[in-house]
Amino acid sequence: MRSPGPVVWGAAFALVVLVLIPLSFIVLQAIFPALGQGSLSAPFTRVADVLTEPGLLRMTRNTALLGLGVVAGSAVIAVPLGVLRALFRVPLAPLWDILLLVPFMIPPYIATLGWIMTLQPNGYLTQLTGLNAGPYLFSLWGVVFVMTLGAFPVVYFAVSRTVEAIGGRYADVGRVFGASPFTAFRRVTLPLALPGLMASLLLVFAMTIEEYGTPAALGRQSGFEVLVTGIDTRVSDWPIDLPGAAILSLILVMMSLGAFLVQLRILSRRSFETVGGKPQAFHKRPLGVFAIPVVAVFALVSLLAVGVPLFAIFATALSKTLSGGLAADNIGFGHFRAIAADENGAFQALLNSLGLGAATALITGLIGAATSYAVVRTQFRGKGFLDALTVIPNAIPGIVVAVGIILAWNQPWLPVTPYNTPLILLMAYCCILLPYTVRYANAAFRQVGDNLEAAARVAGATPLTAFRRILLPLVLPSLISAMLLVFAVATRELVASILLAPVGMATISIFIWRQFDQGSVGLGMAMSAVTILITTTIPLAVTLMSGRRGLM
Amino acid sequence: MIKSLQFAAVVAVGLVTATGARADITVYSAGPAGLINGLAKGFTEKTGIKAEVFQGTTGQVMARIEAEAANPKVDVLISASWDTATDFAKRGWLVPYTSPNAANVPDFLKSETAVAQGVSALAIAWNPKSGTPKPAEWADLTKPEFKDKVTLPDPAQSGASFELVAALRGTAGNWKLFEGLAANGAVVAGANAAALNPVLQGAKAAVFGAVDYISLAGQQKGESIEVIFPASGTVIAPRPVVILNWSKQQDEAKKFVDYMLSDDGQALVAKAFLIPARSDVKADRPVIKDLKLLEIDTDAVYAKRADILKEFGAIFAK
Repeated sequence: MRSPGPVVWGAAFALVVLVLIPLSFIVLQAIFPALGQGSLSAPFTRVADVLTEPGLLRMTRNTALLGLGVVAGSAVIAVPLGVLRALFRVPLAPLWDILLLVPFMIPPYIATLGWIMTLQPNGYLTQLTGLNAGPYLFSLWGVVFVMTLGAFPVVYFAVSRTVEAIGGRYADVGRVFGASPFTAFRRVTLPLALPGLMASLLLVFAMTIEEYGTPAALGRQSGFEVLVTGIDTRVSDWPIDLPGAAILSLILVMMSLGAFLVQLRILSRRSFETVGGKPQAFHKRPLGVFAIPVVAVFALVSLLAVGVPLFAIFATALSKTLSGGLAADNIGFGHFRAIAADENGAFQALLNSLGLGAATALITGLIGAATSYAVVRTQFRGKGFLDALTVIPNAIPGIVVAVGIILAWNQPWLPVTPYNTPLILLMAYCCILLPYTVRYANAAFRQVGDNLEAAARVAGATPLTAFRRILLPLVLPSLISAMLLVFAVATRELVASILLAPVGMATISIFIWRQFDQGSVGLGMAMSAVTILITTTIPLAVTLMSGRRGLM
Repeated sequence: MIKSLQFAAVVAVGLVTATGARADITVYSAGPAGLINGLAKGFTEKTGIKAEVFQGTTGQVMARIEAEAANPKVDVLISASWDTATDFAKRGWLVPYTSPNAANVPDFLKSETAVAQGVSALAIAWNPKSGTPKPAEWADLTKPEFKDKVTLPDPAQSGASFELVAALRGTAGNWKLFEGLAANGAVVAGANAAALNPVLQGAKAAVFGAVDYISLAGQQKGESIEVIFPASGTVIAPRPVVILNWSKQQDEAKKFVDYMLSDDGQALVAKAFLIPARSDVKADRPVIKDLKLLEIDTDAVYAKRADILKEFGAIFAK
């Protein structure tokens, strides 16, 4: 462990600007109701009313229930698949990796709409098979189901990456000492993979309690209210209640920090170093007679997570009218033609989002690597605080992050401000998405032995050189996975984008949302289809160019 | 790392300066997006003044104004709810202005500080392919033929829906119609588009209180949807335009209001299937004089808004 160097200071500065400043303004807004008008009058007057409101307890309980449900669901699906993918020769493995990447590219609100259009009475499923599963969809279980299908790939890629890095070697040692294959996996491989697993489950929990679209579309009809839907009501219903929204958001932040502390406790008990200086040869085992059932499971999960939403998106995009249904005479390319003809600025929106997504991925990658290095590999006071700062943004609803950023950066006394320029969207995306790169890099750093960096220092390298030449290459695979994720999520971020977009600027998600809001579902779905194709192709190209073995 | 950060900063600054051409006026508008983009374009062609637009739902537009209050940016606001114009006037945020082009706007669509851009009305949006008999009245949707087949936009999310609920409930607070709907399996389904989509796909048969212009636009695109205005009456939602008193471009802002109320501007409003604010501009749809309007004391019902929403919510929570 070393003392902090320039890397640490750089990371700390970036975190203060991107996370701490907007977060402080959310806290200030919760305390001072008239902060927006630039006044600090009547502090704490709203806290008591909001906290004693009837229904708050139920919303909080529902939020925790939903978060835990999706975490459990994701673990059940993703851990077996990830372990199989890492330790065995799964037939068609690259194909499954690509397919399981697609759920990241499908915006949650689109996936939800896709499921509604498929399962509701007279939806695509009824039109194709006569079945109607509508009643199951509009319930707590429907929300958990749809959100799990969108979230589990986070766990899948983290588990398959970390287990692969551990390799079969440590388990083989266990086998030599007489453990059965199952015992070796349970006592050796799985515990060593804990950092990656816990980090990804924490991400899933935080992103689930923060997500608005799915609970609003599926839960509200059955009276299932969560904190985010409560926050949205306060922010969108005149008179706007920013202090109330800020207070509810802080409850979400506390829930996420609670999950973070649980994760820290579990991880603090052991060492997870598995990458030492020795080269490792690692051969995956054949599946034997289990090849077919394993492929069947991968296929079923891909069908549910990718096939159904994509079918609904393309079917709607290719239908002339929604009421025409799945019929030969209702097929038309009009919606795609409208996008190609650049009606309503579709092209510009695509360019804006892709540019912002790429910039966000680069910046969060850099800050993520630096912060994780600082937190895992150096000793300084306040590093726990720095680590916590990188979890919080994931728990704050996008709309509240946006409000915090406006409050912070639209102060009249600021000589220059990024507000009302595209830079503000970049800052918002970096804030919201930093947790992805930090969590992935954190897990990777925990696996790299201390001796490698020490050896470099002994050989005369400066801390910066040791970081750049030794550590960075070792954590790069995980970091690139996280950056690809960030790229995908940034290009489709909706809620903060709508509120923060500079006047006259649109992003992909804003474009899609406007089509939906004005009843042009087909055009919105066509734009989604184009976006999913583009955002899936780019990570593929990156992977092929970098010549890595597997995707993510 | 430091170098890369510097590089990122340079790129970002370049991005800013490339797109940072100053707008002459800034307009925040609730939907429809096509209409406000058309108005901004036509305005610039006519006057040479640039109009930069931020468009969202009324809620999003208001949240942005509220968060920006310390350093406001907006010059002209177009809301979908007259209530916001009244509220802003009370706060003293508005510039009094009567456009010369507002002469043919009926009195109830203008005040000292606000004038309507256009008007939407609420209706029953019914899918003729749904296998249900064509409804004529609100109460028809409580009949067994419409069991589990009706959606309602959420009155908490739409000002017009709230006024419809308040008006149909009457001053006495008679919830019988809504209890009938709830008993018949009607669901409250989010914002306007969220209520309409299941009807278009055939999962539901009718929207109770749909905003008419979205359905009329869908009909023109070939969707199987009919807009029915019940003879017993409905409510309208005038969309107020106001000029904010912190605007540094008030003269230009006034020109924007003039343009919006000009023949060209009102033709664009009519093209979006809204009722033009000016009674002398033709529209290809039923206009206000063709509709029977329900009596509603807006001041009184907005004063009781929270209670009415709570009672409404309790009926549909069962």
